[in-house]
Amino acid sequence: MEIVKALSKNSNILVLDEPTAALAEHEVLILLDILRDLRSRGIASIYISHKLDEIFAVCDRITVLRDGASIATLDTKQTNKAEIIKHMVGREITDLFPRRRSKLGASTLEIENLSVADPHSGDCFLADINFSLRAGEVLGIGGLMGAGRTELLMHLFGAWGTRLSGSVRLKGRELRVRKPEEIIREGMVLVSEDRRRYGLILDKTIGFNLSLSSLAKLTKKRLIDQGLEFQKNNHFFQSLRVKAPTLEALVAKLSGGTQQKVVLGKALMTEPLVIFLDEPTRGIDVGAKLEIYEIINRLTNAGKAVLLVSSELPELIGMSDRIVILHEGRIGGEFNRDEATQENLLAAAMGQRQVRLT
Amino acid sequence: MQSRRSFRDFSLVIALVVICAFFAIVSPQFLSARNLSLLTTELSITATLAIGMLLVILPGNIDLSAGSGVGLLGGIASVLVFEHKWPAPLAMGIALVAGVLIWSFMGNLIVRQKIPAFIITLGGLLIFKGLFWLVIHNSTIPIVQGGQANLYSVLTTFYLPPIVGYVLAALIVTALIFAKLRSRKARQGYGFAVEDRELVFLKLFLAAQLILLFVVVTNKFHGVPLSAVILGLIAFAIYVLTTHTPFGRYLYAIGGNEEAAVISGIPVEKVVVASFSIMGAIVAITGFMQTAYSGASTTTVGDLMELDAIAACVIGGVSLRGGRGTVLGVLFGALIMASLLNGMTLLAVSPEFEFIARGAVLSLAVWMDVRLGR
Repeated sequence: MEIVKALSKNSNILVLDEPTAALAEHEVLILLDILRDLRSRGIASIYISHKLDEIFAVCDRITVLRDGASIATLDTKQTNKAEIIKHMVGREITDLFPRRRSKLGASTLEIENLSVADPHSGDCFLADINFSLRAGEVLGIGGLMGAGRTELLMHLFGAWGTRLSGSVRLKGRELRVRKPEEIIREGMVLVSEDRRRYGLILDKTIGFNLSLSSLAKLTKKRLIDQGLEFQKNNHFFQSLRVKAPTLEALVAKLSGGTQQKVVLGKALMTEPLVIFLDEPTRGIDVGAKLEIYEIINRLTNAGKAVLLVSSELPELIGMSDRIVILHEGRIGGEFNRDEATQENLLAAAMGQRQVRLT
Repeated sequence: MQSRRSFRDFSLVIALVVICAFFAIVSPQFLSARNLSLLTTELSITATLAIGMLLVILPGNIDLSAGSGVGLLGGIASVLVFEHKWPAPLAMGIALVAGVLIWSFMGNLIVRQKIPAFIITLGGLLIFKGLFWLVIHNSTIPIVQGGQANLYSVLTTFYLPPIVGYVLAALIVTALIFAKLRSRKARQGYGFAVEDRELVFLKLFLAAQLILLFVVVTNKFHGVPLSAVILGLIAFAIYVLTTHTPFGRYLYAIGGNEEAAVISGIPVEKVVVASFSIMGAIVAITGFMQTAYSGASTTTVGDLMELDAIAACVIGGVSLRGGRGTVLGVLFGALIMASLLNGMTLLAVSPEFEFIARGAVLSLAVWMDVRLGR
């Protein structure tokens, strides 16, 4: 709608800021066609996006901005994605998904025959889910939209659905608690896909958000120990390289990638054994993405287990030790790192493949 | 944002000065020691209830039943003292417990049955009013037995001896200076922004002057009222609760974004129920003070006090959407409300116009909240 409004004004220059954030794939193609058509009619467009595919598909020249400064302006025909990414991040990237040398430890989380009903309709939404997760491992969870990935994480975290059957064991012990605050105490934590809705108190400071899940540990004689709180906050502020002047900056004013780091920091401060990451790199730029990947690797090196949900197949393949694909609320396939190709995963996600459990 | 805030703070001070100047000119008695002492007691009552209201509004709820509750809980204590001849402390203890139980029940209904606080407490407003009138059989129940002063009646008739007032003021000012310097030093250590040295000095100096002036003026008429001490204790307790405890952080977090609060592991239901339970205790204490100030339980005690409390909160910068507001702001809002009500009583403004003025102030305050909150 906004795009139609802008087009109807007959202007000579059109500025589009992340125009495809709310569009589906085929709508994006239509939009790009429209822009090409406008170009042939002599109308200039400024196209702001963090999606490199779109930029290479439609733009003639590319300007890279980083930290508020213009870094480089390049002719699309004479450059490539690697060069653009290099300018965006500020250094050469040989591998977008940094390799990790984590040693897999003991089994941490075991899910057996889990079936969950939708709390509103009462219909069975997730059925016969089985998988396990070891310390130091990243288990990727893929699947199409609506396959039940987010619901699975939210259910394990105690925030969604009614359990019909099945068991969840943490470190070999049946997990009996069902509320998020109890599950955090047991050592599991969730970073939601929608950080503005489920992650942040937007009109509060970075420090307020970082310590929010860990206040019980920062309390002495019923009062918050402000010195200790500052130390903890500052530790994550520094180690996650949160880009803001101080801990007292308001979260609402930060970029998507920086906000995501605050949500991650809040989750990590609870000292979890298992971390659920739901689309941790959605809507953030390449530089911040890379930093998030490095953080994931640091976590697994420290023996944490990560459950990673992602819609981006390259990310899923690049970051995971194993991948489980969900299809309509059931497991559509499970793959080791070397079996996981985009074709295999996609076929499983579409339900075109026999269920094969390793 | 920052400049908007300070513009708002500044306009509030101007409003207070204008209101007081107006009443002082129209009615010279307004600034008499006797009237300022009465104003202090009225402020203590309004502000105590408003501070309770802050706890309910911060996580995004509201309590419309507070005014009726003031009448009911005061009335229960009156009836126990006058008709059943109970000792006042016991009667007040029972009414206090009743307040906590009733309000925690309302809080439970709100979080477990997911009924909006607005509806539950609107029901409470009517139910408590009816119960109140039943309890006092639509009559006037004195708060003392045989004209003898008791703990109940001294709430608004006891004054601290002048010397105690001065000692108390000195202690408070010393504690204030110590706390301010300590927190400033800590913030410097963290590398946070701190106020200029001159500004800190000016603020402390001004605060010390105001506290001293307050004691001097009230000492000219009997001394510092006991009700002001009660307000001071409650305000300090709630200030510590909201700014230095996990519970306080949770109140702000729930009001800021309830869904994110749940995912962050905040026991939202418990926190909301607890905020209502504390409100129950504060309604009871306000009920004792208001009834004692009226001299007896009559059918009109507590009328519209919930709206004065809400107005005091909103004037003091509390957002009705939740997540924003401070004890200090509420105290200031209550001072504006109490000055207005006191001045109008002094001028013998007829009830028609008093209703209109109260309504206008409430609407104006909410309009400001909406305008500045964006």
